[in-house]
Amino acid sequence: MKELYLIAVFCLVFISAGAQNRYFTKDAKINFNSSTPIEDIIAESNQATTFIDLDKNELVFSVLTTSFKFRRALMEEHFNENYMESAKNKDFSKAKFSGKITSPIDWKSEKAVVVEVKGDLSMHGVTKPITIKANITPGKTKILANAEFKVTPEDFSINIPSAVRDKIAKEVTIKVDAIYAPYQQ
Amino acid sequence: MKIRLNTITFILGFLILNSLVVKSQDLDALLEKEAKPLTTYATATFKSTRIVNGHSIERMKKKQLEFRVSHRFGELNSGSYNFWGLDQGTIHLALEYGLTDWLEVGIGRSTYEKTVDGYAKASILRQSSGAKNMPIHLSYLSSTEIIGYNTNQAMNDNFSSRMSFIQQILIARKFNESLSLQLTPTFIHRNLVPTEVENNDLFACGIGGRYKLSKRISFNFEYYYVYRANASSLPTTYYNPLSVGIDIETGGHVFQIMLTNSQAMREGGFIGKTTGDWANSGIRLGFNISRVFSFSKH
Repeated sequence: MKELYLIAVFCLVFISAGAQNRYFTKDAKINFNSSTPIEDIIAESNQATTFIDLDKNELVFSVLTTSFKFRRALMEEHFNENYMESAKNKDFSKAKFSGKITSPIDWKSEKAVVVEVKGDLSMHGVTKPITIKANITPGKTKILANAEFKVTPEDFSINIPSAVRDKIAKEVTIKVDAIYAPYQQ
Repeated sequence: MKIRLNTITFILGFLILNSLVVKSQDLDALLEKEAKPLTTYATATFKSTRIVNGHSIERMKKKQLEFRVSHRFGELNSGSYNFWGLDQGTIHLALEYGLTDWLEVGIGRSTYEKTVDGYAKASILRQSSGAKNMPIHLSYLSSTEIIGYNTNQAMNDNFSSRMSFIQQILIARKFNESLSLQLTPTFIHRNLVPTEVENNDLFACGIGGRYKLSKRISFNFEYYYVYRANASSLPTTYYNPLSVGIDIETGGHVFQIMLTNSQAMREGGFIGKTTGDWANSGIRLGFNISRVFSFSKH
C-alpha cells in the first residue's frame, strides 16, 4: 500500500514537472503594416495561438488570416479574398511559424534577452525559411516575447497587380507580441 | 522484495510510456489541439451591394460610406439619330452607410420620375461554417420611394399618392469562390398606379447570381419575375427585368457595366415599370460606380 502511494505521488510529480516546460497562449497579438505614402494598410489579430517548449527551445505560432482586423472593411475583404485567398483550403486559411531558438537562453534567469529564432514561415500555401530576432523575458508564471520582422509578399506567391503595386509596401513589417502562461495538459 | 521489483518495473514502465506520450505530442499537434474553433463567415458573396439593378445581400460594414453613381443610356433600338441610345441618360445618385455591421441605410435620387428613395437593409443570417454552421445569408430590405414629378394632378393634390413601399427578403448562398446565387421575393405597394386596371400591390421574385471570371472580375445576371394578374388588359406592356453585367473591382472602387431592359435603377421603377423588350433590342447599356469611404477610427 505504501508503495502504491509512493508510485502515485511520484507519477503526479513527474506529470506536473513534464507539463511545466511548455508555455502557451491563445491570444497573442500579431499586427502587420504595409503602408505607403498613398495608403495606410494596418491590420491586427489578437487570436494567434503559440507554444514554447523550454526543453527543446522550440517555438510555434499559428494565426487564422481571417482573424486580422482592418480599419477599412473593404480592405479586410480584399486581404482575404484577393491576396491571402483564405477560403481556398486549410493551408491558405492560416499563417504558421515553427522554429527553434538558436542562441543560448537561460529560462530561469527572468531577465530579458535578445535571441535568434530560426524556422519556417508558412502562408498562402508557401513555406520559407526565416531568421527572426526576438526579445524574450523568461519567468515562472509568465514568459513575455515580442519580435519584429519583414516579409516580402512575392516570396509567398502573393500576387499584387500592377494597378495597386504602389499602394502596398514592398516589404511588410510584422510585429508579434505574446504573453505565455504555463501549459497544463 | 518481490513486490519491490514489481513496483520498480511498474514505475519504469510508466515513465517510459509517459515520456513516449509526451514526446509523440509535438508542438504542431498541440497547436492543432488548442487552436480556437472559429466560425468562418462567407464574405464577398457579391462584389457590390447591387447584383445589377437590385440589391444583393452585401452591405456596408459599420462606419463605411458608399457613394454610388448609376447611369443608364437610352434604348439600343432608338436608332442612329439617338446614337443607339447613347444620347440619352438616366442617373441615380446614392449615399449608403453602415450603422452597424448588420444594418445599412441609404438615400438616393433618380432623374427617372424625379424620385427620392430611402431604405434600410438588415442582415439577419450570415452564411458560415466552422463552430457555427449556416448554409445561407438572409437579409431584409425595406424601401420607400417618393416620386417628385409634378405633371400628375393626382400626385400634386395628394402627397401620399407619390409614395411606394418595397419589401424584399434576400436569400443568398456563396456556393464556392466563384459562384453565388440569390433569390429575392419582393412585395411592392404603390399608393397610386397610372391606370385603374393596374393593381396597387405587386408581387415579384428575383433570381440573380455572379460567377467570378478572375479574382477581380465577375459575370452577373439578374431576372425578376413579376406577377401581374391582368397583364393583357393593361394599356402599357410591361416586361420582366432581365440584366447581365460585369463587375470590375479595383481597390476601393467597383465598376459594374451592364445590359438591361430597365430604365429605372430602384426597385419600384425597374420591377414595376420596365418597358424595354429584349426581343426587340429594347435594351440599354449602363454602369454603376461605387466608391467606399471609411469613417472607422481603429
